Amino acid sequence: MNCQRVQEGFIDYQTGSLPAAEATELRAHLASCPVCQKEWAALQEISRKLDQLPSETPSPRLSEQFYAMLETHRREADSLSPFAFARSRLDRFFETLLPSRPATQFAFAFILLVAGLLAGARFLRPPVNPPINSLDQAELAALRAKVDSMGRLVTYSLLQQRSTSERIQDVLATMNLARPDRKVLTDLVGALAFDPSVNVRLSAVEALSAHANDQLVRAGVLSALPRETAPLVQVAMIELLATVRDPSCAPVLIRLSREETADRDVRDAARRALAVLRTPSPSGISPNAQLNQPKPTLT
Amino acid sequence: MTVAVPQFRVYPCAKAVNLPPAPVDTPSDHELMIAVRAGEINRLGELFERHNRPLYGFFVRLTNQPAASEDLVQMVFYRILKYRHTYRDEGLFSAWIYHLARKVAADYFRKNSAVPAATDPAELTAQPDPAPAPADRAAKDDDLEFLRIALARLPLDQREVLVLSRLQNVEHREIARLLDCSVGAVKVRVHRALKELREVYFKLRHERHAT
Ligand SMILES: [Zn+2]
Repeated sequence: MNCQRVQEGFIDYQTGSLPAAEATELRAHLASCPVCQKEWAALQEISRKLDQLPSETPSPRLSEQFYAMLETHRREADSLSPFAFARSRLDRFFETLLPSRPATQFAFAFILLVAGLLAGARFLRPPVNPPINSLDQAELAALRAKVDSMGRLVTYSLLQQRSTSERIQDVLATMNLARPDRKVLTDLVGALAFDPSVNVRLSAVEALSAHANDQLVRAGVLSALPRETAPLVQVAMIELLATVRDPSCAPVLIRLSREETADRDVRDAARRALAVLRTPSPSGISPNAQLNQPKPTLT
Repeated sequence: MTVAVPQFRVYPCAKAVNLPPAPVDTPSDHELMIAVRAGEINRLGELFERHNRPLYGFFVRLTNQPAASEDLVQMVFYRILKYRHTYRDEGLFSAWIYHLARKVAADYFRKNSAVPAATDPAELTAQPDPAPAPADRAAKDDDLEFLRIALARLPLDQREVLVLSRLQNVEHREIARLLDCSVGAVKVRVHRALKELREVYFKLRHERHAT
């Protein structure tokens, strides 16, 4: 080992990452080479000195400014999030009643949504396509009794702060269920209505598409549609509703198709869906069969 | 001939662990950042608590401007928020934060095109001699002050590689990725920078003791 090679190994030797064999060689060389000894000692000395440099501490101003910035951003982000609508309404109505805790308000918003779904499911009687799984009174009562345990997917995953990809996994896992129960479907609707991630909501629409003939699913998607802000998700929801030709969707679709501020894709999708609704349904065809048919074009 | 070699003990890279080992249920930086990206903006606070001090140290050593360094730290966290959607699932948070920090520093140097004002050693020589009584301590403080000045006088690229590897304890592999060079090149740079630092340091000390 020559001096140059030995000295090239110094940095690795210092950090302990020099392979054992080379370290042994290096030590052997050092023991007999005064030049390298001197160099090594110098390196060690300055390294130790650097190590003694005390770390610097920022003033409290840094922390104050950071949290002020965070608060500003949080407000802005909230005003764009899909459940901001529900939350801002709740904020106005329940400001004085509720403690200012997002989790509580979130749960409240969720219960309101579920209550809305149940009411909707009860009164919807689409004449063209009689619901395949119509909800009878007993079922509704059972559902109501379970209101507080519903929406577990969303409340749990959000409150437990599961990551986006984990939440998507939660949603996709439901697609393996041949016959998901009501709770699972309600969870999916909850995810669609409340999850802050576009990807999670998109996965939820995808998972729900397989159950579009379920009245609860349709009512849920219809309730979530007006509060959805992402065009991608809006289009997916509209297409889901179009496949089942539920006439009760018409008012929401008409409003969307005329909304100036809505994304063009969304307006187009709404118009296409309305055209589908107006086309008489071929008898005997299952609603899901429509999925595979080409989309009607509207001029 | 046998020369007494003081010790071959490996120089401990001791400060590598700035934080106590995380308990099992403590989210990693990466998990927190993924949550921030998904909209849980408040969780940036946890990342701030973990990283603001090391980051501040990075900027102070790099710029020698303590007040400006607080703004620079703030700027890094602002950019984390602004660009949170670009954080990737397979990302490495520590690499990302230094990547942003280097950009913030580059912007700072561009705006303040004057070379960062290294503390003038004249200030030191102008100071009255430390009281003779706590001589040891004073000498030690002096030494550290010389070291600070010497570090500040290094060219920016040398200073940066030293701050990253020896003060921030960023791994060579990670520094190589940051600087877009090979690991071998990082080691060469660290070695050169240490030699240069030592030279400047002893020159300062020599000047000081000559006056
Ligand atoms: Zn040698």
